[in-house]
Parts: sequence; C-alpha cells; structure tokens
Amino acid sequence: MPDNQWEQMLVTVAEEVLETMFFTGIYGPAQDAGPEDLPRFAAGVSFEGAPCGRLTLSIPETAARTLAADFLAAEGEGGLTDAQVGAVVCELANMICGALLSRVESGEHFRLSSPELVPAGAAPPACQHHRFLDLGEGALSLWLRLENHAA
Amino acid sequence: MAFRILIVDDSPVMRAFIRRIMVLSGIEATEFLEASDGQEALDMLQHQWVDVVLTDINMPGMDGEQFVRRLEADDLLKSVPVVVVSTDATEGRMHQMLSLGARGYVKKPFLPETLREELERVLGGAYA
Repeated sequence: MPDNQWEQMLVTVAEEVLETMFFTGIYGPAQDAGPEDLPRFAAGVSFEGAPCGRLTLSIPETAARTLAADFLAAEGEGGLTDAQVGAVVCELANMICGALLSRVESGEHFRLSSPELVPAGAAPPACQHHRFLDLGEGALSLWLRLENHAA
Repeated sequence: MAFRILIVDDSPVMRAFIRRIMVLSGIEATEFLEASDGQEALDMLQHQWVDVVLTDINMPGMDGEQFVRRLEADDLLKSVPVVVVSTDATEGRMHQMLSLGARGYVKKPFLPETLREELERVLGGAYA
C-alpha cells in the first residue's frame, strides 16, 4: 500500500474513533508537523501480523484530560487521576491501531500487544508515517512504524 | 426485562465505558459484573449466572478466543450467549470467533445503538 494511503487511513480511523467513542472531532486537515512543547501523555501499541509494527500517539495533557472526561462521563476534568487519563489514552491508541489494521487486507490475524504508556519527554519514534490532528486543545500526534511491509 | 451482564475486558476504563453506553442506549441491567480476563470470567460464572457476556479478544492471561473455547466446552456454560466487543474487526477474526461459538460481534469504535441492536438480536425474545 502506498505511503500516502497509510497516512490517509490513519487520519480516517483516528477521526472515526474520536467521533464515535470520544464524542469529539478534528479541526481542519491533518498536518505533517505539530508543536511538541506541551506536557503530554503518550502511549504505544505493537502489532504482529502482515505487516507488523507499532503505533504511537501523544496528546497534550489538557486535551487528554478532556478526552478522558468525555469518555468516562466524569464530572469536571480535575476529578480524574493521571492513571485514569493514561488508561484512556492507552485505550485510544488501542482502538486507533485496531481499527487501522481491520482495514488492511491481509490473510493473517493481527495480534495487538497491550497498549502501554510511553514516558513523558521520550523522543518521537522514528517512523515512516506521522500525522498531527488538531483537537482544539492541542494536536494529537500519531506515528506509525511498519516492518516487513512492501510499499 | 432486565439482565445480568458480564463485561470481560482488561481495561477498567473500557469496562466503565461499556457500562455507560449500555445505560445510555436504554439497555436495562439488574447488575453489571466485570472481569479482567477470561479466567476471571470463568471463575465468576462457576458461581453466578448471567444473561449475556460481552468480551474483548486481546487480553493478557486468558484471551477472548480461549475464553469462548472454554465456555463452549462446558455443558452448562455454553448456553450463555457471548458477544465479542473488539478492535479486531478483520473478516477472518470475526468468522473465527463466531465459528467458535460467539453469538454476536461488535467492533470498536461502535455507536451506542449498534451495541443495543446486537444485544437485542442475541437476546432475541428475552428482550421484549
């Protein structure tokens, strides 16, 4: 699959997940680069199959708390612990990765790892595909690394 | 009619989300039970009857595939309907889980009405 199709599919599934499960949307078209100077939550999911690879996302803390509050119907952003917000960010990564792979025509079953939080301040992963989506309170950054994949 | 519903997912926030969505979509439940993997769910089902099970596939410990296999191998528990709720919506995986004995399949992300419709279909006349 050509690179631009992977990136378009990444944007499409992220938008679908955000609208359906988090009751929010994306402002404007996806960007190639975004600001990285805000405190952030980050999570990653590895997957095995054809292809295998890893999806990583990061999101500014303010936006992450809003998403988590919407997802859990929590009263007020301050009511959620960092662990709860982190768990919701992990679930966001899990759903985007799963939805993406479900669109890949492959004869194999994909196996997803449990999503895990990535330490704050970690360098962005080296990936073939990356997109930045404006959530209004900051950009959701998405990176996709594919292995054993022929473009 | 109200139901006892068991939610099997390793993510506490996803279990909470599914509970919330079921309430929002008008599904009447007398009780929500929760388990974090298939083994914990099997242990619960030895002592408590439920009307339907919603299960994820990818879970540490006993995953959803093993869980459905174990349920189907149990003469008593195989009558409990299972609906898979998973991010894995590949045709192969859906076919596999339904072949193993799952009665329904809801792919994440899902709309509240999608979950309700699938539960209505699986629970059939009991939902009237």
